[in-house]
Amino acid sequence: MTALMEAPIDTRTSAPALLELRGLTVDYGGARAVDGVDLTIHEGEILGLAGESGCGKTTIANAVMQILRPPGRISGGSIVFRGEDLVGKSDEDMRRFRWRNVSMVFQSAMNALNPVMRVGDQFVDAMRAHERIDKKGALAQAEQLLELVGIDPARIRAYPHQLSGGMRQRVIIAIALSLNPELIVLDEPTTALDVVVQREIMQQVEALKQDFGFAVLFITHDVSLLLEFADRIAVMYAGEVVESAPAQKLGTDAQHPYTQGLLQSFPPLTGPLERLTGIPGSPPDLRNPPAGCRFHPRCPHCTRDNATLYLRQTAERPVLHEVAPGHSVACHLVEEGTA
Amino acid sequence: MSQFDPTIDLPLAAPPARVRGRVRVPGWLLLIWRNRKSRVGMVMVASMVMFALIAPLISVAHPNEFNLLAARQAPSWHHLFGTTDQGSDIFSQVAFGARRSLLLGFAAALLATGLAATLGVTAAYSGGFADDVINFFINVFLVIPAIPLLVVISGFMKERGTWTMVIVLAAVLWAFEARILRGQALSLKNRDFVLAAKSSGESTRRIVFAELMPNMISRIAAGFVLVFYIALLVDAGLEFLGLGDMTGTSWGITLYWAQVNSTVLQGEWWPFFFPGAALAFTVLGLVLMLAGIDEISNPRLRTEREST
Amino acid sequence: MRWFARRLGFYVFAIWVALTINFLLPRLMPGDPVSGLLAHLTPAQIQANPGIVHEFETLLGGTHNSIWHDYVTYLGRIAHFDFGLSTSNYPTPVSEVVGRTLPYSMFLVGVAFILAFVLGTAIGMVAAWRRGRAVDNVVVPVFMALSALPAFFTALLGLYFLGLKAHWFPIQHAYDSGVTPGFNWTFLSSAFRHSQLPILVIIAAFTGGWVLNMRTVMINTIGEDYVLMAQAKGLPDRRVMTRYAARNAILPPLNGFAPLFASAIGGLVFIEFVFSYPGAGLTLQQAVLGNDYPLAQALLVVLSICVILANLLMDILNLVLDPRLRSA
Repeated sequence: MTALMEAPIDTRTSAPALLELRGLTVDYGGARAVDGVDLTIHEGEILGLAGESGCGKTTIANAVMQILRPPGRISGGSIVFRGEDLVGKSDEDMRRFRWRNVSMVFQSAMNALNPVMRVGDQFVDAMRAHERIDKKGALAQAEQLLELVGIDPARIRAYPHQLSGGMRQRVIIAIALSLNPELIVLDEPTTALDVVVQREIMQQVEALKQDFGFAVLFITHDVSLLLEFADRIAVMYAGEVVESAPAQKLGTDAQHPYTQGLLQSFPPLTGPLERLTGIPGSPPDLRNPPAGCRFHPRCPHCTRDNATLYLRQTAERPVLHEVAPGHSVACHLVEEGTA
Repeated sequence: MSQFDPTIDLPLAAPPARVRGRVRVPGWLLLIWRNRKSRVGMVMVASMVMFALIAPLISVAHPNEFNLLAARQAPSWHHLFGTTDQGSDIFSQVAFGARRSLLLGFAAALLATGLAATLGVTAAYSGGFADDVINFFINVFLVIPAIPLLVVISGFMKERGTWTMVIVLAAVLWAFEARILRGQALSLKNRDFVLAAKSSGESTRRIVFAELMPNMISRIAAGFVLVFYIALLVDAGLEFLGLGDMTGTSWGITLYWAQVNSTVLQGEWWPFFFPGAALAFTVLGLVLMLAGIDEISNPRLRTEREST
Repeated sequence: MRWFARRLGFYVFAIWVALTINFLLPRLMPGDPVSGLLAHLTPAQIQANPGIVHEFETLLGGTHNSIWHDYVTYLGRIAHFDFGLSTSNYPTPVSEVVGRTLPYSMFLVGVAFILAFVLGTAIGMVAAWRRGRAVDNVVVPVFMALSALPAFFTALLGLYFLGLKAHWFPIQHAYDSGVTPGFNWTFLSSAFRHSQLPILVIIAAFTGGWVLNMRTVMINTIGEDYVLMAQAKGLPDRRVMTRYAARNAILPPLNGFAPLFASAIGGLVFIEFVFSYPGAGLTLQQAVLGNDYPLAQALLVVLSICVILANLLMDILNLVLDPRLRSA
C-alpha cells in the first residue's frame, strides 16, 4: 500500500498505451455480453476490472485472446495492441500472437491444467508453439520458472492432480511467464483459493511484475483485492464500463452508486469493521437489458421523487464523463451534480 | 439434420399442459414432441403400430397360407412384397409379424423398465451394501454377452411362447437400463427435496416411488425406449437363429426361413429385405426418439444455430 | 493401483457368476436335457462308452448326488476345461471344437472392433470439434443410421449387394473350399479375403456407438478450461483438439467398452450365421439347435471370458492413459 501511495498517479498513466479496446462489442446469440467498451492498458501497469459475475469481464478477456466459444463473437469495435488491430487478423497470425504477447491465467486453477499431461510438458508445448527450442532446453527453462514462483523444480514431472490448488495456480502463472509476454490477463485467478493463498499469489505477481515489466489486466469481483494491487480500476455493469479511476481515488471517492455498492459488499482490509450492505437485486438479462441506465432498477437513487431525473434515468443511456483527471463516471446523478 | 426446432429450450420440468377439450397431455410427452428428432421417431413408430393394427384389413391372405404355384414370386401388384419359397404372401407376414414383434418388445421393455427402475433407484438411494450387491449384478450382466446367454437359455427351453420370451428378455436386458437409472438416481439422492422427505421420516419405498421416480421420468422414458428397441432386435435375432417361438408369424421367423432356404444366395432379395426393413424402420424410429430425449436433457448436444 | 485390484476382483467374481449361471440353467429349466442329448447318440455309441451318461449328468444335472456335490465336481471339471464330449461332433471333446472355432471369431471381432473403435472415436472427435460442419452433418448421421440397423440385416444387405451382385467379396465360409487350414499363404490369404465382408459389417454396425459416445463426451470436454487455456497458449488447432480435448474425452467412452464389446460378440452370432462363417457364434447356434448342450455351455463360458479379458485390456489401457487412476 505504501508503495502505491508514494508513486504519483501521473507517471503511471503516462506510459505508452499497450492495449486499447475501442467500442468493443461482443454478442452471444441474442445477448450482448459486452457493449461498446473503451479501455486502455498502459505498459507496466495493473488495470483492475471489477464487476459481478456475468457483467462481461471474462468475455473481454476471451475476446482479447479471440478464444470466444460459439455463439460468442466480436460484433463491433477494435482491439488495438501496440497500434495494430487484432480483430480481423488471420487465424495463424492470431495464434502466434497468443501467449507470446498476451498470456492468461484462468479462473479455475483446478481445471486449467490438462489433467493427463505432466506439468513440464504443458510448459514445453507453449514454448515450442512459438519458439524453436528443443525439449530439453524448454524443460530447463520451465524448471527455472517454477523456482521463480516458489515451486520445487522437481515438480516438473508431476501431474496436476498431485499438486494443491495454490500450487497449480502458481504453475499456471509460471506458464504464463514462459514467453515473457507484455501483458498477462488474470481472470479471477484466486477465486477458488483461500484468502491467505490469494494474497500470497497476488504479492508474488506484483514482485514478478517488477522483474519482468509486464502489464496486468486483473479481472475479479473482489474489489478489496483490486484496491490493494491495481493501479487503475474500471468497474463494469451489464456489459458496460460505468466508472474508471485510479485505485486510491476509487477507494475513497467512488461516484457511481453501483461502485459504491460494490465497495460496501467487501470488508475493508484496514480500519474498523462496518456492516456490509451489498447491492439488492440481480444483474439484468442481457438479451433484454433495461432502457436508460442499466443499473436503474437496482439504483437506490432512482426514485420518482425527481420526475425529470427519473425520466432521464429510465430512458436515456448515460455516457462516461470525466469528473476529475483520470476519473470517469457514467451516471445521470453525477452529471446533474446530485450525487 | 442440422437445424432443430428452437422451441425445445424449455426446462425439463415443464408443467403439464392443458390442451383443448380437457385432454391432459403430460409435460414430458409434449416436450418430446417438440424435439424434431423425437417427433420424427414417434411418427415412425406410430405408423408401424397402425400398420400392425390394421393388418387383417390389408392382408391379401393368411400369413402362413402356402401356395406352391405362387412360390418365389418377386414383388408385384398382387404380392406387394413378393412370396416365400412356400408361396406365402410376405406382405401379410410382415403386417401380422409387426403385431407380435411390437407386442413382445413393448411387454419386455415394460417389465425390464419396472425391474430396472425399482432395483436401480432403490440401490442408489439406499447405498451401502444393498447398492454394492445390486450394482455388482448390473455389472456382471453387462460383461456376460446377452445374445449368447439368450441363445443358450432358449436352447434349454423346449417351450418358447410369447410370454416366456418376454420374461426371459426382460430378465437379461434390465441391466442396461438399471445402470443408467442408478446413475441418474445417484445424482438426485442428495437434492433438497429428497433430503426433506427423508428427514420427515418417509419410508424408503415411498421416497423411491413417490419422490425419486417422478423426477426421473424423462430418463425412465429414455430407458424404456432403449430396452424396447434392444428387445425388438434381440427377439427378431433369436427367431432369425431359429430360437424363438417358431410357431407364429413374426419378422424374425420370415427372416429365418429366408436364411435356411438360402433364398438370398439364389438372388431373391425380397424374403429378407421387407421384414428386415420393417424391423430397421421401427428401430430407427425408436433410436430417433431416444436421441431426441437425450438432446432435451442435455441441450449442449444440439447442433447450434448460426447466430445472426 | 487399488482401483486395478478392485477391477481384477470384480472379474474373478463375474467369471464365477457366469459359471454358476451355466451350472444352474439346465437344472432350472423344465425337461431333461441329458435324455435330449443322448437321443443324438446311437445305442452302440452309448454302450461303447458306459461312463458317458454319468459324465453328462454331472454337467447338466440328473445325478443322485446333492446339488452341492455336483457343483463342486462341475467347477473342478471346468477348471481343467473339461466340458465333456460334443454330441454333434461325437466323439470329439468339446474343448477341441471350441479351440477350432474360436480363433476365427476372435480374429473377426478383434480386428473389426478395434477398427470400429479407432474410426468411431476419430469421427466423434472431429464432429464435436467442428460442430455443424461436414463431418458432423453428414458422416455422423450415416454411421448412426447404420448402427441402428439390425446387425443381421446389415449382414444380409452386404451379402446381397456387395457379395452376390457386385462380386467384391466372397460370400460364404471362412476360406475357399479345397484349401486346408494351416499356417501357409494359400490358407491365410483365402481366410483374409473371406473375413473382409463380415469385418465390414461389424464396423458398419458398431462404429456408430463409438461416434455417439465420443461426440457427447468431447462436446462436454471442449467447454473445459484446460482446452481454453491450450488455445490461449497459441497451440495449433489440431494439437488442441488431439492432445487436450480428445485425449481427455477418450477416457469415459473406454468405460462403456464392456456393454459395446459384449453386444459385438452377440452381433457376431448373427453375422456368422448369415455368412456361414464357422466361428464360435455359428457353432453356438448349431449346438443349441442340435441339443449339443455341453458345447453350447462351453461356448457361453468362453465368450464370457473373452469379454472379461477384453475389459481387462481396456482397464490396463485406462491405467496407462489416466494418471489419476494410477494414484487412486
